[in-house]
Amino acid sequence: MKVQVRNLRKEFGKTVAVDGITFSFDSGHVFGFVGPNGAGKTTTMRIIATIEEPTDGDVLLNGISLREHPELARRAVGYVPDSLPAHADITVHEYLDFYARAYGLRGRKRTEAVSAIEEFTNVTGIRDKHLKALSKGMKQRVSLGRALVHDPDVLILDEPAAGLDPRARVELRELLALLAERKKAILISSHILTELTEICNGVVIIEKGRLLETGTIDEVLKKSAPRRTVAIRLLDPAQSSELLKELLLTPLVENARPVGSEVHFEFAGSEPEACDLLGQLVARRFRILEFRQTRADLEDIFMSVTKGGVQ
Amino acid sequence: MVQRLRNWREWELNPIVVKELRQAVRSWSVTGMLLLFLSVLFCTGLVMILGHALDVHANQRLGANVFQAFIVILTFSSLVFIPLYVGTRLAAERQENNLDLLYITTLTPHRIIRGKFFCGAYMAVLFFSACMPFMAFTNLLRGIDLPTVGFILVCLFLVVCAAVQCAIFIACLPVSKLFKILLGLGGFIVLNMVSGMLNAIFYTLMQSGIVSMSGGVAGVHASSTFWTGFATAAGVILAVVVLLYYMSVALISPPSANRAFALRVYITVVWLLSGILSLYRVSISSNSELILPWAITTFFLLSGALVVVISNNDELSVRVRRRIPSRAFLRILAFLFYNGAAGGLVWVALLLSLTAMVTMVVLDSRPSGWRELAAGAATVLYLFAYALTALLIHRKFFSRRPAKLAGILMVFLAGAWALLPNMVLFFLGRLTTHSFDTLQPGSIFNVWLARGFDSVLLHLNCGAAWLLLMLVLNARWFLRQLNHFQPVEAGAPAAQPPPAPAPPPPLPTVAAE
Repeated sequence: MKVQVRNLRKEFGKTVAVDGITFSFDSGHVFGFVGPNGAGKTTTMRIIATIEEPTDGDVLLNGISLREHPELARRAVGYVPDSLPAHADITVHEYLDFYARAYGLRGRKRTEAVSAIEEFTNVTGIRDKHLKALSKGMKQRVSLGRALVHDPDVLILDEPAAGLDPRARVELRELLALLAERKKAILISSHILTELTEICNGVVIIEKGRLLETGTIDEVLKKSAPRRTVAIRLLDPAQSSELLKELLLTPLVENARPVGSEVHFEFAGSEPEACDLLGQLVARRFRILEFRQTRADLEDIFMSVTKGGVQ
Repeated sequence: MVQRLRNWREWELNPIVVKELRQAVRSWSVTGMLLLFLSVLFCTGLVMILGHALDVHANQRLGANVFQAFIVILTFSSLVFIPLYVGTRLAAERQENNLDLLYITTLTPHRIIRGKFFCGAYMAVLFFSACMPFMAFTNLLRGIDLPTVGFILVCLFLVVCAAVQCAIFIACLPVSKLFKILLGLGGFIVLNMVSGMLNAIFYTLMQSGIVSMSGGVAGVHASSTFWTGFATAAGVILAVVVLLYYMSVALISPPSANRAFALRVYITVVWLLSGILSLYRVSISSNSELILPWAITTFFLLSGALVVVISNNDELSVRVRRRIPSRAFLRILAFLFYNGAAGGLVWVALLLSLTAMVTMVVLDSRPSGWRELAAGAATVLYLFAYALTALLIHRKFFSRRPAKLAGILMVFLAGAWALLPNMVLFFLGRLTTHSFDTLQPGSIFNVWLARGFDSVLLHLNCGAAWLLLMLVLNARWFLRQLNHFQPVEAGAPAAQPPPAPAPPPPLPTVAAE
């Protein structure tokens, strides 16, 4: 299932919540959707989930227009909002059963689908508990179960990790990894960028409703943060000053400085050029114990491309 | 249809009904109300029977008296509680910033509204069946017969169902919570009045019994009058309930859907059928005035419809445009019935003109009615003038604001025009009862207050001139709408064939992994 967001625009009165954003993601991809508060993430996700209608632009699911066929899109999309609607007087099992009925599952198929989902999201033990009695983590599991009950190809998760304890976060991450293995196309928004880096293979960054960056994590990293920091640890720390001198004369190297027992510097070259540099240093008889390069992570990119503006 | 009948084993209840009833039986408000209701019935019955036991004279109408007390309790509890319960729950689900996710499942708006309605109906059945033993018991006390008990309960049940549909409609309105509460309070007052009226009717029925009312004693004429009246009342209630149903469905449908189509078709069909029935009644009774209820109802209904149609968006969604027929004749019909203010205006104008023509032809032999006809015509001209003025103002000054503003502007203009002259007179200290009925051109309400045929004719001329001006100013817009009412171009990318609607297979169990 290929999800293409095309020139999506949404206005609320005079406020432009989403301003012509375009991106796409595919089956098996987990795309992180990041941006400051008020950037338009939730609005975009609500449009993909057919809760809102776009003012302009469209979302295509395998080429099928969501504006023209929202009812067909609903079969293909599962949406997990940031909080579970507060249904009182209904148990977890009844809640999932209702949504299975609502998506047209009947008879034994429905029973089997609900049981499978209860096991998958590990809520079997609490299936007879009322929704209002559940913890935040359990509610999030039920919400995920509700979104998965009709086996959608696309999963939209709006801040699913917000308010979860570390254990629940790890479990959620594992569930998402399993879903990605099952070829679901997943779009997930979160403010915890380190977590997104671990589970996402793509990212969409927006601010003030406008798209800033999109692509696979590697593409975005290359584009937004072409330099890498390299750390060298020498067997003999006495060689450090000599190494610093050598590095200062080397093209593509900037900002070489000693950091503890290591020497750190910014390297603007490609990976083969980094390899050549290592070879060159070894040839000059530097006894290198460790040659480590670290790229900027999602958090660095986010901080560099966004300005923190809200609408 | 045949296939569905064959697969009767796979029939399942509407999911909304299942969910709502599951929640209702667990809800303390429903069980509490039911217990309270039964307790009140029990105590009332006990007090009345014990009171009678102390009386030395035999009361031959004790059953009727007890039944009357029971029906008052049942009317109040079912007519207020059930619509309130259904309406409040739906309104909570429809909150703009926290829309319940059931609205993005594959359930159609029709199934959702039907589910809510049937939930209310089932709850009414629950209340009615709970009180049935009490009601049947009154028959043993004398003074009331079982057919009357059954007939009254059926009537009350139908009215409760109508009230449930009204509550559903209010809950679906895209207005703030506060406004919904105000509407609900208004509805509560109306329901209390309805409740009082119903009890008065039930009292009359109980006095003579349904058998004698329907001809058992009074003869064939009484029978036909009774059942004609009953059928008319039931028909009107049914028509209103179905209208509210379609309006509720339209309100919860996505804005890009062809929301107007079903509503306009339904109103046209009801207008046509009721018109034919009215003409039939005129022909068999030779009383031309029997056409007036139809004409007046049509006028009020279409006046409301006018406010709604000008609130339609000018831009048709791709979904609607794909359904526009390519054949010219069908396209003209579609222009009248599909979304869009321009087509809606023509549709209202067409129905009103036909109604006026039929009414004038039928009332032709009654010259005394010309003043009313002229006043009616002036009112219609004003209505269209207000509508077109509101559209013009919206388009010129508030084009970025939602289309529903045009409808609000129309109501505001009519209200302001009626109030402002009187407010000015008030501040000048010259407001008198006389100033209300002197000529105030442009005021739609003054048409019916102004004295003399000349004043009405002046209103007619004023309305015609104003409308003409607005028609000229809106002509370009109208022609643009007409020209844009075309199916999506052949070159536009067509939607791909939809995926098979078969239910998806369940996810395999992976918890153990």
